[in-house]
Amino acid sequence: MKENTEVLKTLGDSILEYIKRKPAVPGAIAVTVVIAIIIGIAGGPAQVVNAIVAGGMWALLATGLTMILGVMNVPNFFHGESFMVGAYTAYFIFTPIHLYLMDNPNKFLSTIAPFAGFFAAAVIGFILGSILEKLVFYPLRSKTKERWVMNSFLLTVGVSYILSNGVNLVLGPNFRGIPRYWDVPPIKFFTIRLTVDRLFAFFLAMVVLLLLWYFMGKTRTGRAIRAVSQDEAGAAMVGININNIHTLTFSLGTSMAAIAGAALLFMFQAYPTVGLRPLYYAWYVVMLVGLGNVSAAVVGGFIVAFLQTATQQFFGIEWGEVVPTVVMMIVLIVAPSGIFGSEVKGIQEQ
Amino acid sequence: MLKVENVDSGYDFLQVLWGINIEINRGEFVALIGPNGAGKTTTLRTISGLLKPKGGRIFFKDELISNLPPYEITHSGLSYVSEDLNLFVNMPVYENLLMGAYIIKDEKKIKQTMEYIYELFPRLAERKKQLAGTLSGGERKMLAIARGMMSNPEMLLVDEPSLGLAPYLVRNVFDALKTLHGEGLTILLVEQNVNATLDITDRAYIIEQGKIVLSGKSKDLARNEHVQNVYLGI
Repeated sequence: MKENTEVLKTLGDSILEYIKRKPAVPGAIAVTVVIAIIIGIAGGPAQVVNAIVAGGMWALLATGLTMILGVMNVPNFFHGESFMVGAYTAYFIFTPIHLYLMDNPNKFLSTIAPFAGFFAAAVIGFILGSILEKLVFYPLRSKTKERWVMNSFLLTVGVSYILSNGVNLVLGPNFRGIPRYWDVPPIKFFTIRLTVDRLFAFFLAMVVLLLLWYFMGKTRTGRAIRAVSQDEAGAAMVGININNIHTLTFSLGTSMAAIAGAALLFMFQAYPTVGLRPLYYAWYVVMLVGLGNVSAAVVGGFIVAFLQTATQQFFGIEWGEVVPTVVMMIVLIVAPSGIFGSEVKGIQEQ
Repeated sequence: MLKVENVDSGYDFLQVLWGINIEINRGEFVALIGPNGAGKTTTLRTISGLLKPKGGRIFFKDELISNLPPYEITHSGLSYVSEDLNLFVNMPVYENLLMGAYIIKDEKKIKQTMEYIYELFPRLAERKKQLAGTLSGGERKMLAIARGMMSNPEMLLVDEPSLGLAPYLVRNVFDALKTLHGEGLTILLVEQNVNATLDITDRAYIIEQGKIVLSGKSKDLARNEHVQNVYLGI
């Protein structure tokens, strides 16, 4: 009991300290809340809920992207393909179970089946990330560090093409989707009807982000990842194997994109170029809040989602991508390192 | 304990060190002195593995370390405090110290070392939760040395701790190094502050234009004519 209050107290202290350190974050949260209230009044609470669900997913995607950027200085443009791989993995794991369940109904198994899909996507994403890092980026890194950002960027674009066209070649361009993960009626909450799939996608994003937050803040390896992102030479000096940390970071980032792809399978379906829009949104978020700024990426995910929803509400659905892009351009002109400031040294130096 | 054998080193096509020989026994406090651009920092970077030597070999505790990556050299008990400190500026002081103890898995031991470090540098204990990037110059130096000590090293390489510090802070840093040496730590100190350095060290090497030109007991070197002319301005 006493321990609990102490934990809460230190948590409160660290939150206060954080607000003192980075006043832009609560400011941005306040702006987001104002936008949310406007949407709520104009379009009803259902819109707000939709925006929150989307925000959770963009946050998950952007966090993976910004981690890879912050630690390795790689502007990852195959993040969308990681999303796509996650979607396919979930589809191929979930559908057979689902078909089996149609003939042999089993309540327990039908509750569990989506988790199998998510978990498989996370694992496959992690493995894909490690393989690509060891196969593509590690050789480049050990060869030369010159023009690293540009070279690694071109490599990620190449990987993106190979992955999406490879999948196209093997599986074809058809859409593979599922109507829903859980066969239960939508939950009614006052006037809002919310499908369990959406609700769960949001909770999954939050759980993964919380786990990541704990991992990065409280564990030895997580601290090592942050150390490498802040000072590579210093990290080597205290005895951190930088290559392993790079591979781990890359795998984690890829895995997070794959989880997002799996969780949103009911919305996006799986096809070779499904990753394009998630990639754009992840980059909107990362550029908006500042490159390599992991905690701000979470806030940014919600900002972008609310912007999108507000735009669709007031200007019409076809403007949904225009306004976030314009906002991003303005941010790049006014505050090139993002509204919360960037923590990536290498890119600024180049 | 440390043996540098005929080491050539440098950056890309620029060779800085030409056949450096250094030998340091356990428990010694040795200085490496020389003018700007003589290769002092390059020597330390080469020993710590951040630079690969172009020729020659480096042994630590009779084991070849010149072909190891830097993190393995740290694991073998050699800790490097660099000139630009390489602190983790977005982490608070205590997390920097925890990172210093990265190679130690025993949490009890980490706690003990941390308490010892706080005793040695009370200033750091006061600033425990402050971000390293917001510390003053002197505090940063102390934090860098403290972080280097967190891995319980057998030998410490320290690069110009007095650079840019007010005289009384230099005293503080040197006192701390002296205390650490008194407790059995082997130290290789690179300095430009020759007077004070020769005062506290046992032995010294003088490096000029990438070559060791003189070496001997610090007391004798302080009386050496060349050293007096060039470094002490007597």
